[in-house]
Amino acid sequence: MFDLSLGVLGSAGVALALAFSVYAAIAGAVGAQRRDARLQTSARLTSIGVFLAVTTAVVAMMAALLTDDFSVKYVAEHSRIDSPLWVKVVTLWAALEGSVLLWAWLLTGYTAILSVTTPNTALRPWAISVMHTVQVFFLGVVAFAANPFIVLAAPPLDGPGANPLLQNHWMMAVHPVLMYLGFVGLTVPFAFAMAALITKRPGTEWMRLTRRWTLAGWGFLTAAIISGGWWSYEVLGWGGFWAWDPVENVSIMPWLTATAFIHSVQVQERRRMLKAWNLLLIVLTFSLTLLGTFLIRSGVISSVHAFGDGPVGPYFLTFFLIVAFASLTLVALRWDQVRDRSELDAVVSREGAFLGVNVLFLSLAFAVLLGTIFPLLVEAVTGARVTVGAPFFDQVSLPLWMIVFALMGVGPLLPWRRAETQTLKRNLTWMLGAAALAAGIALALGMRKVYPTITIGLAGWNLASFALLLAGAIVPRARITGRSFASVFKSYAYENKRRFGSMIVHLGAVIVALGITGASGYRVDQQLRLEYGVPTAFQGYELVATEPFAERTGGRLSVGVLVDVFQNGRQVTTLSPRINTFGNQQMNVPTASVRYTIGHDLYLSLAGSVTPDAPSVIIRAVQSPMVTWIWIGGAVMALGTIYTLSPARERVRRRVTSESTAGVEA
Amino acid sequence: MRRAPGRRGMAGRRALYAILGVGVLGAAGFMIFQALSTSLVYFILPNEYAQNPAQFEDRRIRLGGLVAPQSVLFDDERLQLTFLVTDGIQEYHVRHTGSPPELFKENAGVVIEGTFDASDVFMSDNLLIKHSEVYEAPEDGHIDIEALRESLQ
Repeated sequence: MFDLSLGVLGSAGVALALAFSVYAAIAGAVGAQRRDARLQTSARLTSIGVFLAVTTAVVAMMAALLTDDFSVKYVAEHSRIDSPLWVKVVTLWAALEGSVLLWAWLLTGYTAILSVTTPNTALRPWAISVMHTVQVFFLGVVAFAANPFIVLAAPPLDGPGANPLLQNHWMMAVHPVLMYLGFVGLTVPFAFAMAALITKRPGTEWMRLTRRWTLAGWGFLTAAIISGGWWSYEVLGWGGFWAWDPVENVSIMPWLTATAFIHSVQVQERRRMLKAWNLLLIVLTFSLTLLGTFLIRSGVISSVHAFGDGPVGPYFLTFFLIVAFASLTLVALRWDQVRDRSELDAVVSREGAFLGVNVLFLSLAFAVLLGTIFPLLVEAVTGARVTVGAPFFDQVSLPLWMIVFALMGVGPLLPWRRAETQTLKRNLTWMLGAAALAAGIALALGMRKVYPTITIGLAGWNLASFALLLAGAIVPRARITGRSFASVFKSYAYENKRRFGSMIVHLGAVIVALGITGASGYRVDQQLRLEYGVPTAFQGYELVATEPFAERTGGRLSVGVLVDVFQNGRQVTTLSPRINTFGNQQMNVPTASVRYTIGHDLYLSLAGSVTPDAPSVIIRAVQSPMVTWIWIGGAVMALGTIYTLSPARERVRRRVTSESTAGVEA
Repeated sequence: MRRAPGRRGMAGRRALYAILGVGVLGAAGFMIFQALSTSLVYFILPNEYAQNPAQFEDRRIRLGGLVAPQSVLFDDERLQLTFLVTDGIQEYHVRHTGSPPELFKENAGVVIEGTFDASDVFMSDNLLIKHSEVYEAPEDGHIDIEALRESLQ
């Protein structure tokens, strides 16, 4: 029996990659220790080999999925012959084993790119070695704990197909990949931070080398969280986008600490402060991705959508403990070098604002962690089974978010070191005026809820802050050079990508906040009984159920009802809420049908079953104001990140200057 | 140049920061504790409620159990579902706002979220069907409490 099946090929690829990676981790470290350039180069080149080996495994898995090769266990358990092509493709990450394989693959890809592109510094060999060590863990999990390539002696003729909730929406093709790209991206600064500690170079070098990786990772994570919200909005049928479910919580925790990290590294770059803090933040961010994976994959926390409990939980917990212990020990060993010697000059300064927002983000992360694991603590102590409801998370995090948004307006306007009282006063007056105006309009329009009104005020506050920032940058330049505002703006935005990009991201955050405010503060959620042919009023709409329907598309059976939607006597659309069933799986997925508009969404989903001869059908109708702005704001945040990362021309100019200075000095 | 505060000034400032820090942390801790204690939702079975109703007065809970046979009524004018939820020892009336979900049927395992009113009727606003393979609906009317609890988790 020596025919080369896809399962064997995949297992071989993973095993080879694991062996290579073990070698590279050791060779990199020994090479760095002995300053042996040949060993270091060998470790770097091995990264490419590892990537190719895992790529072979991924290609084998993809081939097995696309050719319905049910001799491969993963395919037999999660795929199905009559699924459409895209579902077969995304099945690669629709279950536990496959998603760990994807995670490992992306990690090896990043390591390979790092090995080739990172400039030759003292940090490089250690960083590569740390990347390989992390990789050894993931490849080990794939090879031993959650091997998707196990060959079945008696392959079934067909499989059950992917989890219905996952194959119900195309967003599933995007969201997990973004999430892993984010997690893996944030592994890079962690690896360099470890290298910085090992080599006793806790300066800013490690963060400068990884700035783009960090930002890209953060951007992916942001996009992943927003797209996850959209998925749950479209698929889970209750018209909400965030439920403080453990799965959601463990994705936001590393995002919060990574956001803190992005802000606090700037303090170290400018003021040489917060060395230890930054190291701890990146350790925390990376560890939280591991802890989160443990929490949701081990089944210790029940979640409404914990996809695929599996055997990997204990491994992630162990690795989390090792990472936390090893990195904290390293920080402790280097404590004398990383503790801060300079102090904050004044609280009212850029670094003061950064520090403040750091504390807030960390508190948010802590609150979410506490709420997520508290049920475990209670059960361990008292034996009672509890859940922590959404009110806890709202109660604790909303006030913190309000302060975050207040600081977001002030921080960028403050100079480093110490603010001038007069300018500060003038700026604050404008911003307070704008905030009062915005909140006043909201009140005049009849808003009475506290947090939504404050949020609108803070939106005005932040918009004023953007205007002041731009005016402060552009007006003086235009005055001096005599050029038009538009052309000065263009060159300002082009030459200050980091600053201007951060403004775009902040603007996106304000838009997301407004969307969340409208959608959760003013949503109307009602069950309606629609008699066929009889108009039923809902929030200014007339809904008329016309007829039930059933259709079969690509292995999916949909049973639903057509609802004509009228507004002011004119038909605006026809919605078709339905219940989807996939193959012979037991689970029925009620699937909403949504009319998206800029002002609000009309969201219909079936609340009961559709029977052909019944005179009526019961639907859940949700009107969410502003909800589209969450997705738009998310896109703006992603665009801002891309803008910041886009190659800048000033680089070239700087290089010329430094060369000419070098010439002068020589 | 940075202003160099004297040794005592520096120490004073440190102490001030420390006191402020402890104060803020204390306030935050208190806030979190308050929020936690009011938003814990206990998962219990009907007989556990019967043992100590006072403990769950006005508290939001998740009540698990089976839908008792021949107890289901759905008022499709007012969209109100009423049924009895039982764990074999104790049963309570449930009034749920909304229509029965797709897989709702007699003997189905359900978890309902809401509060008990003054006359011990459970007012639910969230109804989840637990279609677990772990627990089989009883044939002879005997219910194994532990198996039921596990299956509803």
